[in-house]
Amino acid sequence: MRRALIPHKGYGIGDDWVFYLLILIMLSPLLVMSTASAESGKNTQPIQIPNPSADLWREVRQRDAIAVGNSQVKSADSGVLINPYGDKWRNFRMTQLIPYGGYLLAGMLLLLIIFFIVRGRIKVVSGMSDKKLFRYSLYERTIHWCLAAIFLFLAFTGLILLFGRSLLIPIVGQEFFSLLASASKEGHNLFGPLFAVALVLVFFRFVRRNIYQKGDLTWLLKGGGLIGKGHVPSNFFNMGEKSMFWMLVLVGGVIVGSGLVLVFPVFGQGRVLMELSHVSHGITTLVMIVVIMGHIYIGSVGMEGALDGMTTGYCDLNWAKEHHEQWAELCEEQNEVIMEDEVSRLQGDTKANSMPSSLTQETGQ
Amino acid sequence: MARMKFYCDAERCIECNGCVTACKNENEVPWGVNRRRVVTIKDGEPGERSLSVACMHCSDAPCAAVCPVDCFYTTADGVVLHDKDICIGCGYCFYACPFGAPQFPEDGAFASRGKMDKCTFCAGGPEEDHSHEEYSKYGANRLAEGKLPLCAEMCSTKALLAGDANVVSNIYRERVINRGASVLNRGVSYQNASLRQTRGMEGKASNKK
Repeated sequence: MRRALIPHKGYGIGDDWVFYLLILIMLSPLLVMSTASAESGKNTQPIQIPNPSADLWREVRQRDAIAVGNSQVKSADSGVLINPYGDKWRNFRMTQLIPYGGYLLAGMLLLLIIFFIVRGRIKVVSGMSDKKLFRYSLYERTIHWCLAAIFLFLAFTGLILLFGRSLLIPIVGQEFFSLLASASKEGHNLFGPLFAVALVLVFFRFVRRNIYQKGDLTWLLKGGGLIGKGHVPSNFFNMGEKSMFWMLVLVGGVIVGSGLVLVFPVFGQGRVLMELSHVSHGITTLVMIVVIMGHIYIGSVGMEGALDGMTTGYCDLNWAKEHHEQWAELCEEQNEVIMEDEVSRLQGDTKANSMPSSLTQETGQ
Repeated sequence: MARMKFYCDAERCIECNGCVTACKNENEVPWGVNRRRVVTIKDGEPGERSLSVACMHCSDAPCAAVCPVDCFYTTADGVVLHDKDICIGCGYCFYACPFGAPQFPEDGAFASRGKMDKCTFCAGGPEEDHSHEEYSKYGANRLAEGKLPLCAEMCSTKALLAGDANVVSNIYRERVINRGASVLNRGVSYQNASLRQTRGMEGKASNKK
């Protein structure tokens, strides 16, 4: 740095040692540190001419931080010559996200199959009764299935884009897959923002029933009744369902946030932000898909009577007693048990009046 | 076959943007897209350098590695090209490319990405050479005419070199050697160079006694 202080006029006057000495004397306070070694080594050491631009190219190569230049072509990141994070993103996607993501999904599927073989369908022990409890209102069922449909669509289109090149191109060919992937991309971008809307609606509707309560810890310690026998009492939602809800909200929030960064590339967001968003989008969506696979399993083939509440709005009383004992007891106390033949009449009412009887609303809350 | 490469000499580039204009005109690239750009580092400061950047036609191209539909291919000349009929405009190549070469025209309702466009080394695309489809999708195919990319051909200071990697590197090597000699002899090319002169080798010709 100090050497730059010598004026250009001083170049190439090596023979003029008086002038050279004069400069040395003038700059001696500055040169005190470097002069000794520089002078003594001058005649003995080999000529070393490091490229003075070396520091510049080191900056361009972005060894320490992103150095941004200036370009007449104005667009996001047009001033960045080399973005080293691109290669990191590539390595993450190709050597970690795709293989480990694949293992994760396949592992979960295998786990569910093994669990089904070992444990089988969890039956309602005392058998299905002829009595019902009102569990989910029409609005609740609508937003649930909206979220579910959008989620499934987004998951499948996303997985097509993630695994399609290695799994589908060898089967369906490149041109057909391009068509499929193009439709997936457009659909994914179109329905992505709707997922955020459905997620917000589900959050506000179900958040009160999903606050952790006394007894949730016991449920966790007893493994939720999945391991071993006997059912663990719980309220409207058990600890596992509550945890899934909070996973949905928190992980879903990350998914929505990162997705919005990626879906609208028109706000001048840079590549580094997009790469980070893509990494978090990839990890969080895979986590969510795995959890939802468990959710779908337990809600369908895994447990008898679990699906009824979300399809018809009414669940079986015996099922409720075995899986949501505290809630079932509360309903019985408040005399909210409905006979099966009454359900069909109430459902007819639901269609006509759009809302079932008032007492069931209270339980819903 | 040759292995085609670009090389931009930062000691020569004067940031005239002639290459950018030449490329845009020759290839009729989509609106809002520039296949080539000139980046100036330390603009207006001592040590300012400019470089013209476009697709570097990598041997192990990150864009091709991450493409979810596998639309990239490398020609026998080592030019990395892509098939716009296959491309879905996802933007992954843009994330992966260190040089920011892939560009996207705005398309669709939310101004989402259209099909990717990038430098083709003036080698057209997968369509038949010199066909109308090839020109409208990918621009000129100068390589098939036996010509090099127009950006390099137009470069007024010959900073931007394009062609067979061996030829390009030989030209650059000669320049570096000459510059090294000139640093030793006259201290003009590299800033501060004369401060490292050794006795007996220093001095401009006009200074010699």
